[in-house]
Amino acid sequence: MLLALVAVGVSLRASAGEPTAQIRATTDDILALLADPALKTEARNSERRQLIQKELDRRIDWATVARSSLGRHWAKRTRAEQTEFVSLFSRLLEETFIDKFETHHAELDKVEYLGEKIIDEYASVKAQVSTKDQIVHPVEYRLQKSGKDWRIYDVLLEGVSLVKNYRDQFDEILAKSSYEKLVADLRAKIPQAVAVAASNPP
Amino acid sequence: MKKAYLEFVVGVFLAIGIGCLAWLSIKLAKNDFFARNGYEVQAAFSNAGGLHPGTPVVIAGVEIGRVKSVGLAEYEAKVRMVIQPGVVLQKDTIASIKTKGLIGEKYIELTPGASDNPIKPGGAIRDTQPAMDLEALIGKYIQGSLAKPDDKGQPPH
Repeated sequence: MLLALVAVGVSLRASAGEPTAQIRATTDDILALLADPALKTEARNSERRQLIQKELDRRIDWATVARSSLGRHWAKRTRAEQTEFVSLFSRLLEETFIDKFETHHAELDKVEYLGEKIIDEYASVKAQVSTKDQIVHPVEYRLQKSGKDWRIYDVLLEGVSLVKNYRDQFDEILAKSSYEKLVADLRAKIPQAVAVAASNPP
Repeated sequence: MKKAYLEFVVGVFLAIGIGCLAWLSIKLAKNDFFARNGYEVQAAFSNAGGLHPGTPVVIAGVEIGRVKSVGLAEYEAKVRMVIQPGVVLQKDTIASIKTKGLIGEKYIELTPGASDNPIKPGGAIRDTQPAMDLEALIGKYIQGSLAKPDDKGQPPH
């Protein structure tokens, strides 16, 4: 197994395996939180969400995800608008992720890490998520080094990049309406996302 | 008199034929424009699904380059492309492989990013999205449908 990992992954630094190790740690921590019976009560629901949020905040570089998703439209916005956008978009994504985790974690069978590639301060980690119905879903994490931490700036699910998906959507929305409308839509979606997540059984 | 007329007609046809050849070679030469004047960048795709030299590289539906070569490096497709001079690619540009229609020609689409740093000539597009494997996705969907419990709520057998 180790040989296979070495063969598939190509590392150019002595810290080979660090990106995978950090992703594995965050994933395992989140899965543990989701499975913890002590946290499954109504009363501790929001505490559990906050703990999961903390894990995600450590591993995901929300500012880069938001900026990258807005793409060529980013430079046109003022500093204040950019800050606001990062805050809104990352909140929306985070609520959506946590909701998905809570809804689907029971279907999860296992996560296997297939290999990583590091070039300078960028890395990509390939994994596959198997669900209990025997379907295998390829996942690729793209990370950038920030001090000792490797932080995610994009994730590909079934080969589709999250950032690229949002770039296309934002391009379309901004072509048809305005930036103000986009922000208003994001704002409106957040309480919806929070409500959906809160309605998940613990 | 008749012979002169005949020769004249032959001459006209010859002129038209040469004219067509000239037009054709100008058209083909236009395709070499990028190769002579543009700058080269490369990108690695986990699935290059049907890319070949000459495949168009497109931003917002506009052709701004061509694929120069496709090779294999460390089990990934290494694609070299020539980009029109004057087209700036940000460091976080994403390159993806799209199909014209559902079963048409492949082309590379570049989606501009937000980075202030441009990709230098000879540099690489770091973030790529592989060609969508439609057959695999359909297979997964079928597999998924088969795995669902039947109407009586019995688990799949």
